[in-house]
Amino acid sequence: MSSPFAINGGACVAMVGKDCVAIACDLRLGLQALTVSNDFPKIFPFGSSTYLGLTGLATDVATVSELFRFKVNMYRLREERDIGPQTFANLVSSSLYERRFGPWFVSPVVAGINEKTGKPFICGFDSIGCIDFAKDFIVSGTASDQLFGTCEGLWEPDLEPEDLFETISQALLNAVDRDALSGWGAHVYIIEKDKVTKRLLKGRQD
Amino acid sequence: MASISSFAMPSEAPTYSFAAAQSASGQPRQHGFYPYTDNGGSTLGISGDSFTILAGDTRSTSGYNINTRYAPKLFKLGGSGPNHEGSKIVLSVVGFAADGNALQERLDTIVKMYKYQHGKDISVHACAQRLSHILYNKRFFPYYVHAILGGIDEEGKGALYSYDPVGSYEREQCRAAGAAASLIMPFLDNQVNLKNQYDPNSGPGLEKVQRVPKPLDRTTVEEIVRDAFTSAVERHIEVGDGLQMMIITKDGIEEVYTPLKQD
Repeated sequence: MSSPFAINGGACVAMVGKDCVAIACDLRLGLQALTVSNDFPKIFPFGSSTYLGLTGLATDVATVSELFRFKVNMYRLREERDIGPQTFANLVSSSLYERRFGPWFVSPVVAGINEKTGKPFICGFDSIGCIDFAKDFIVSGTASDQLFGTCEGLWEPDLEPEDLFETISQALLNAVDRDALSGWGAHVYIIEKDKVTKRLLKGRQD
Repeated sequence: MASISSFAMPSEAPTYSFAAAQSASGQPRQHGFYPYTDNGGSTLGISGDSFTILAGDTRSTSGYNINTRYAPKLFKLGGSGPNHEGSKIVLSVVGFAADGNALQERLDTIVKMYKYQHGKDISVHACAQRLSHILYNKRFFPYYVHAILGGIDEEGKGALYSYDPVGSYEREQCRAAGAAASLIMPFLDNQVNLKNQYDPNSGPGLEKVQRVPKPLDRTTVEEIVRDAFTSAVERHIEVGDGLQMMIITKDGIEEVYTPLKQD
């Protein structure tokens, strides 16, 4: 348990639906087995429909999210527009690879809808920036094994926003209930073309 | 000659040059033997009102290699003849296959001896406790397996018992074991025990009441088992090739084999 990725615990998942995407995370922050906080969200917005989920070492989650806030603000100042999910994914990838030999201990997930094409987009990364483009879902965190099982079992193509919300919520809640380092409530974002719905889930408090 | 390995017998006999060169370093050599291997694979059991289903994939691995695509992890216990006719209890073992086979043979012998000595079939309840004792008897050199035992109890209801390698056991409605247990188990929590599912017409917000799990029918359970394994095959490299299912009812054991992906 001395892996930097498993000290603080946490889980994140993103899914594609019909003209929509969803991204969800748990709220736990811990030090090994001791829970320190039950209000530590791991999803950060970067523009109108680009979201970043970060699991891993909590200090790096905080630092990296702030680093990208800075980088995306600089992008907005130069370009006078919001960053798209694909562009942001490439920014994340190159920023992580800059730290190739002393990486940030994070497993990022990007979800959003491309403003121009209106197409849903999700992707995941390893800690040094290798992008995993997925058509279905991306998982990360200490409950990734469990999330792979629940997502593979529950997900189906072309889910409508309400059904996608139910699917991602059930996938996350049941996965974190089988992981001692994740849980304590969840945040779920449902992202549509010109609407984002954020919901807070209670979940098991143990 | 003083530089010979401490494990070798001192000898004046002529040796090969490479052997002499090897021992010239004078370094002590550590020899080791690790008695366990992980043969991968996964098993799963679900009990219903009048039946129990046990399932396991048939792939056997060591590391990244596939030993065989057909190595059953499900074993009928008792019954007569080489095909265990009339058997009503099934043992599934996953982990170290050699220990799994040894365990199956021991328990099978015990179940047969019970019938010879008592003139009646052993109950699943008694068989379950006996298995626990067998495992605990090797507390300090354990059978490296996660066992699941399935059958029909004395009331005719489906019975399912799961074990850790040293014999701690519990009767449950469902259990996944082995390499993909972490993938399958939360899915089973959700679909069999209806965890995190609430009745939508039961009031607002936190007043909502949990859906109560009820015993599932056979076709539903078979569907869940298949879904669980096809999902596990997609995301776990040690699971695949074939799915062996045994359905235990009061009338006996039905065995079904269906192919799974071989990649």
